[in-house]
Amino acid sequence: MKTWLSRFGLVIALLCIGTALSIVKPVFLTFPNLLNVVRQISINGILAVGVTYVLLTGGVDLSLGSVVALSGVVAAGFAHPGDWPVIVPVAAGVLVGAACGGINGLVVTKGRVAPFIVTLGMMTAARGVALVVSGGKPVSNLGESFRWIGSGAVPVIVFLAVSCVSWVVLSNLRLGRHLYAVGGNENAARASGINVEGVKLFAYTICGALAGLGGVVLAARITTGQPNAGVGYELDAIAAVVIGGTSLSGGVGGVGGTILGALLMGVINNGLDLLNVSSYYQAIVKGIIIVGAVWLNQRKEKS
Amino acid sequence: MRRLLEFILALALSGCAQHKSDEGRVLIGVSLLNLSNEFIVMLHRAMETRAAELSVKLIVNDAQRSADRQVQQVETFIAQRVDAIILNPCEVEASSPAVEKAIAAGIPIINVNSETRAAPTAFVGSRDEESARLAMEYIARRLDGRGNVVMMHGFMGQAAQIKRDRGAKDTLAKFPGLKLIAEQSAEWDRAKAMSLMENWIQSLGAKINAVFAQNDEMAMGALLALEQAGLKDKVIVVGVDAISDALQAVKAGRLDATVFQDARGQGRGAVDLAVKLLRNEPFEKQVYIPFQLVTRENVGDYMN
Repeated sequence: MKTWLSRFGLVIALLCIGTALSIVKPVFLTFPNLLNVVRQISINGILAVGVTYVLLTGGVDLSLGSVVALSGVVAAGFAHPGDWPVIVPVAAGVLVGAACGGINGLVVTKGRVAPFIVTLGMMTAARGVALVVSGGKPVSNLGESFRWIGSGAVPVIVFLAVSCVSWVVLSNLRLGRHLYAVGGNENAARASGINVEGVKLFAYTICGALAGLGGVVLAARITTGQPNAGVGYELDAIAAVVIGGTSLSGGVGGVGGTILGALLMGVINNGLDLLNVSSYYQAIVKGIIIVGAVWLNQRKEKS
Repeated sequence: MRRLLEFILALALSGCAQHKSDEGRVLIGVSLLNLSNEFIVMLHRAMETRAAELSVKLIVNDAQRSADRQVQQVETFIAQRVDAIILNPCEVEASSPAVEKAIAAGIPIINVNSETRAAPTAFVGSRDEESARLAMEYIARRLDGRGNVVMMHGFMGQAAQIKRDRGAKDTLAKFPGLKLIAEQSAEWDRAKAMSLMENWIQSLGAKINAVFAQNDEMAMGALLALEQAGLKDKVIVVGVDAISDALQAVKAGRLDATVFQDARGQGRGAVDLAVKLLRNEPFEKQVYIPFQLVTRENVGDYMN
């Protein structure tokens, strides 16, 4: 009930900003522009859905941006025209991401190192591997069928598919309930027979795999695998999740809020560009909105 | 933990041992802005090639965009008593202490590619304003001096962004028929530039006649957005840096022009200067390597 209330608040915020924008800039409310907005949020959205799993368990993943870069250059390496069927680069990117996430999960659960530290290490290491694999240069000359993944509405469809599956997993499957239980109270979850380590490992692996998928979509969209891509993407993704009402301490939240959070960030980005607001002020506005949205959410939850 | 310490110690010692065996050779410490940037990678390669030709040894450190780390690297070079230092500065102000410390320690220091406030022994690079001037003049020529231009900035406040902005605006002032109708930062990033261009297509649409992006990454992003919107035929896109992707795009007739910054010339020039200095030969204190406009006509000269 509480999360529904806070989600309702976000919807109202979105509607207000959207109405204001469409009055000042009528072009905002046209189909091509709205498609623009959803396409531009789809990569951040895929990452945000992934990191929702980890945040729900009370963990964090700072390695997303670097994993995006790594899986992007790996996928691009398999995607030159005539090399392989398109499934190969996609699978390679997702698997590389899943491997990074799996390592994060193993060190967190078996090594008992704080997630912040583990994923900070992965952030540095994965960036390094991306640079080694690519020789520090972008991997370009990608085939038509691979580039298709990043064109038109395809990124949006991928984002929607990821969201739907995650919504089912988190709200209807036993695994999802276990994720909430672990994040809510780890000891209670363990006492009630939940495999806490397994659940956490699952969360980090899925998060990594989705970061890998995000990297594939990004590489397809910008038609090159960039070893320096994705810097700071982890923070945008985490911002979208917390704006959407998922608690950083775990146990509360969900995919629905995350999608709304990503949408809010995308609408603001698009709106500020349409209004041609100077880059200096854009940064200030975005910062205020992130904190403001979370603050409003918390007030709603308490009342 | 103890085994880890031993391992690190062993690594450090093997590093020292290697250093010993190279005694007698000229040793130059190099601190680079960021080795995940294609231009800096090309600069680095040119330096290594030239150093091998002159049988000079380089110690190369990557400052990863941090001026603070860069100053520490130069301090380490000074402690190692290298013969000369080549600095590829991260920041105008914040990298200045690195130059001051080297000069104070009596070690010659050469700035390559960009400047610091503190004066080094010598400088090799290009005038960034010139790159934007070449690009804008090209746009003016193509539009016969009349039309609407949008500009994509790099990271606001970085030396290259400030100078390319200045060069572009000074040139625009000479063409009263050219109007800058929007400008925004896309932070040197292809994906961000693509989103920005999509948003501009929505808000400005057919009004845009030309895009000047302060680097090729952003020009490529703008190009992709325009192509997907079916507008590329109507809009001129120009970037700076002549990275390989951009050269391919110019060759294919997709990108209208880019501006070549001579990484090879700068890298070789820096090593040459260092060696001249150490041999007490006469040298120029400021070596400027010119930028060159690359269009479909001459793109073949820049591809290898």
